[in-house]
Amino acid sequence: MAVFKELFDYRQMIVTLIHKDLRGRYKGSVFGFLWTFINPLFQLLIYNFVFSTILKSNIEKFYLYLFIALVPWGFFSASMTTGSTSVLAQGGMVKKIYFPREVLPIAYVTSSFVNMLYCFVIVFAMIIVSGTRINILALFYLPIVMAVEYILAIGIALITSAITVYFRDLEHILGIVSMALMFLTPIVYPLEAVPQEYQGIYDFNPMVSVIAAYRDILYNGEIPKIETLARAFVLGVLLFVVGLIVFGLLKRHFAEEL
Amino acid sequence: METVIQVTDVEKNFKVFLDKAQSLKERLLFKNRSRHEVRQVLKGISLQAAAGEAIGLIGRNGCGKSTLLKLMTKIMYPDSGSIEMKGRVSSLLELGAGFHPDMSGRENIYMNASIFGLTKRETDRRIQTIIDFSELWEFMDNPVRTYSSGMYMRLAFAVAINVDADILLIDEILGVGDAAFQTKCFNKLKEIKSNGVTLVIVSHSLGQIEEICERSYWLRDGIIEKFGKPEEVHEKYNEYINNLYKGEI
Repeated sequence: MAVFKELFDYRQMIVTLIHKDLRGRYKGSVFGFLWTFINPLFQLLIYNFVFSTILKSNIEKFYLYLFIALVPWGFFSASMTTGSTSVLAQGGMVKKIYFPREVLPIAYVTSSFVNMLYCFVIVFAMIIVSGTRINILALFYLPIVMAVEYILAIGIALITSAITVYFRDLEHILGIVSMALMFLTPIVYPLEAVPQEYQGIYDFNPMVSVIAAYRDILYNGEIPKIETLARAFVLGVLLFVVGLIVFGLLKRHFAEEL
Repeated sequence: METVIQVTDVEKNFKVFLDKAQSLKERLLFKNRSRHEVRQVLKGISLQAAAGEAIGLIGRNGCGKSTLLKLMTKIMYPDSGSIEMKGRVSSLLELGAGFHPDMSGRENIYMNASIFGLTKRETDRRIQTIIDFSELWEFMDNPVRTYSSGMYMRLAFAVAINVDADILLIDEILGVGDAAFQTKCFNKLKEIKSNGVTLVIVSHSLGQIEEICERSYWLRDGIIEKFGKPEEVHEKYNEYINNLYKGEI
């Protein structure tokens, strides 16, 4: 528990790192901040073309169905892959100054989280333009789902960033893992499309319930099922705790390994 | 007096890879390339300091002084033994570590202070003192990459000394900057020491240690060869150094 107190003491460092990251992210590029929106929009365009024009998904308003899942997925994937280098990238600082090392992955995940919040502006614009019914009551559950995903992403980033210090290949392995996970999460297809015998695998994927909850709230205009929320919450907290423990064990030798 | 630094029987080993096989191919082809030897850098160090005391660490390069400081500031952890530090620890191990070249002096003050665990409000309260101490008024809004190394050092020192630490660890930095600023830093160290801050100073300037420290610890090959009143320790140390170069040891 001491780590929470220390992280609270160092909250300003987290804030400063987030500012720096958000400001520096598109520094020097012509479109600058606009890249935050251009990236997911083009991703949407490509996926939408493939899955509604070529593969002809029969899901209504497929672009919306897809985008509602794609934006949270982008955040999770960035936390896992780019987040894995968050300690490595600040090696110089880790070797020279003391601060709770957890600050680094937490700051990276938080700045990606803020980025996702910006993208939700487009998500809402799209919902309104498409004429989808908005359920105000269900919207109250959105911050909860976001918080659960945030905790989950921090847990994953703690694990991957700590291991990457010792095993640099992980960064590249995670690129593959992230792609595999994306197609093993119902993002471009509904969970119901998965054959019964494979559904068991999906129970272990923490993002399945998170994405389902986002879709319930924003696409179906429903309050997410309590089982969905509970499963997401339990898996999120579990990974967060595992992340803290793994990171706590591995951080002691960071300065020597970097 | 309350003991704020308690170092007990600390040992620290480093793995020294003779030729580290990095890739899978290398690992498979040259199995014994990952051979490493374990070098013991600290072989059972104990020391303590009370609030408001200053202690000096001396010794030749590679004797373990800097490693000991890194353990005290928790950048690294000992393999055995224990280190207890009471209160906020601020350290100046390397100049301007954590500075961002493209950010202005002012932004770097905030950045650096946050790395020492200060909130924005706490830094707001200290910013004028920090700027005044650094004497870099007209350069505050320039990016620090345009600073000279002396200016860099002033800024780093000004921040570290103003974070209201209970313990300040300083590694060989008093030698940078012009004479006037050095004197100013040194006087500031004396001032914060009289306010009850504990100092640990690594220095090759024995005169500085004699002037400010209650005790000096001479480290040799990972053990404390001698400690006590700085003048007495330094006399022996100088004798050792002189003999070394006469070839008598």
